[in-house]
Amino acid sequence: MTVVQAGAGRRRARHGHLLPWMLVAPLVLFIALLSLYPTAATTVESFFRVSPLDPPTRFNGLANYRALFANSAVTTSWVNTVVYAAVGVVASTILGIAGAVALKRRFRFRGIILALVILPWALPAVDEAVIWNWMYDPNYGVVNSVLHSLHLIGGYHVYLGLDRWLTVVLIEVVQVWQMTPLSFLIILAALQSISPDLYEAAQVDGASAWRMFRRVTLPLIRPAIAVAAVQSLVLSFNVFDQVYVLNGKAPLGSSLMLQTYLTTFQNLDFGGGYALSLLVTLATVLLSAGVIVLIYRKPVAT
Amino acid sequence: MLLTAAACSSGGQQIGQGSTNSGKSSITVDMFYPSPPKAVLAQFTKQTGITVNWVEVGYDDLQTKISSAASSNTYFADATDVDWSRVGEFAKTGWFQPMNQWFNPASLKSDVPQIGTFEVNGKLIGMPFDASFMVTTVNTKDLTAAGAAVPTTLDGLTAALKKLQAHGMAAPLDIHLAAAEGLSTCWYQMTAAYGGQVLSAQDAPQFTAPSSAGYQAIAFMVNAYKSGLVAKGNIQETDYNGLTAEMAKNKVAAELCDYSGSVGSIYDVPSSSSVVNQVEYVPTPGATGAAPNVANPDGIGIPTTARNPAAAATFIKWFTDAKNQAIWAGLDGPSSVISGFPLPMRLSGLELLAKSGKVPQADELETLLRQHAQAPFPQGAPSWYSQFSNAVYTNIHQAAAGQETVQQAVNNIASQVSTLKASG
Repeated sequence: MTVVQAGAGRRRARHGHLLPWMLVAPLVLFIALLSLYPTAATTVESFFRVSPLDPPTRFNGLANYRALFANSAVTTSWVNTVVYAAVGVVASTILGIAGAVALKRRFRFRGIILALVILPWALPAVDEAVIWNWMYDPNYGVVNSVLHSLHLIGGYHVYLGLDRWLTVVLIEVVQVWQMTPLSFLIILAALQSISPDLYEAAQVDGASAWRMFRRVTLPLIRPAIAVAAVQSLVLSFNVFDQVYVLNGKAPLGSSLMLQTYLTTFQNLDFGGGYALSLLVTLATVLLSAGVIVLIYRKPVAT
Repeated sequence: MLLTAAACSSGGQQIGQGSTNSGKSSITVDMFYPSPPKAVLAQFTKQTGITVNWVEVGYDDLQTKISSAASSNTYFADATDVDWSRVGEFAKTGWFQPMNQWFNPASLKSDVPQIGTFEVNGKLIGMPFDASFMVTTVNTKDLTAAGAAVPTTLDGLTAALKKLQAHGMAAPLDIHLAAAEGLSTCWYQMTAAYGGQVLSAQDAPQFTAPSSAGYQAIAFMVNAYKSGLVAKGNIQETDYNGLTAEMAKNKVAAELCDYSGSVGSIYDVPSSSSVVNQVEYVPTPGATGAAPNVANPDGIGIPTTARNPAAAATFIKWFTDAKNQAIWAGLDGPSSVISGFPLPMRLSGLELLAKSGKVPQADELETLLRQHAQAPFPQGAPSWYSQFSNAVYTNIHQAAAGQETVQQAVNNIASQVSTLKASG
């Protein structure tokens, strides 16, 4: 009897070990087919000359990569994209934390304000860019109207397309406007899960509001900040819509995604497109890992 | 995502290539124009037994769709857009079936002067379906009020623009300077106004010398912007926006890179224009007199992956019929008009419209098309046109924005031409 029970227990244990694998198998298969295989194919083909304008497809080593780094439009886009990512992650995360802290407590009309705050995230990026494009318009834009009516500018100004860094900053504004709501929601959810007992205990110990924020709140929402920062990083490193609508194909504010699109579908240089998309993917993964490590390991200042 | 999809499919099986599938009587037509009215398509189905599934796709999206589908040998349509600028590319890639078995370019030449734009080495890559060409338009009411004559030369134009400025119109000329295809096309037109073309028959740059037409054209465009004849906001303005938001709203009084058909389809539409019956097509003001008009016709072709090419060819014959096109452009009144339909591609169709008097200034357009329209490239658009155009609009845009000189701009464009020619 005991032997029979032990055998059944071992079988259950074996099934118990297999069950998680069986449950995740569909997802693993799904990712492998739709992500890993194309990534592997992209990696391989990035070392080939693949262009319908220059057949046949042939191995050309690192030529695609060398061509990318010799292309001034691509190098400009690298710098722009790093700026988009750095400013985007920092700004959207800080604004997300500030918004979450401000809206953590319940008050009248909080629900309406929450709905308004997440609206930019819910809108398609192209629609937002079109709205902002109209706001920046030198002839009819509300930005010029407001600044002019406040006597801050003498005549109507052209904001996009003349100065590289002004163009980058104005595109970044739109991007941060779109990314911040999701960061805010992620951090707000984490904030609301913190037990009030911890704050009561800190108050009993005589901690100030600022000290409670740094010693209680910040450490406990660190995982949420990491998630928010990584999603902002991925979004901003892959920015396309806002750049295309606000800046067109001009190199001034161009991003890596736009260059990938142009290399592939305008120039029909698929090998170059594969190489660039692979570099963007690697950069995104490495930077995301860096952000996570930084946020998790950096001790909170006391 | 598109890239990885393309990577996966590049070695994939050809789907539908060369399949005629004569048993099917339906075709898919992907175009960037709205669908003709159902009654019009029903008429075609009644005549031929072929059902048309019309898919409207934005111009840029359609170009991407053609590239991604064709490069992965995937069926997406039986007939689709063949833009004049991609003819060389399509000839080299072999993405479209030559149409010579259905259409004879030699016999059509007299009635369809722009058909040569769609021929490469004797192969007809697409069939033009409109007679689009660049035109100069002016607001005659504004000119009269300012005491300026309708300009016949570029110097006369500059003088007229200055009079308009003195009369209160701040920036009377529209040149769209956004880094987009419309800026490249405008340069070809301005180069024609100065009496030249941008590339030779051997695709050599013809614009690097300061005395060349191409160089002078860029200098004119940049100077017009910097001197204030063109509004500062135009650095980000695209072509269509210039027509609808500037000319149609009487912000400007002259367009050097307008499109044939704009008077009827934009300026004389009371609901969206404040210049009804004020704008006229005029012969292109050139260096010494009337200059050519650059033709940029739209075409329709049959991809090699089409499932029903014979039915597609039947549709294209019907779609490019002279009388049909004249009717859709307004010959029989508004009930048969296809919204936004451009000018008929055949001179015979345009003549029908001109005689009817139902389309604004159709007789003027017919004269311009017959006497002045010329292809932007003498040997047809090169296979590397997209990259060339990108260099053109990027550098002219940068020169206007003050980030490089005109000389640097032409040098950069010429350098790109050398690179592209070297890479084949």
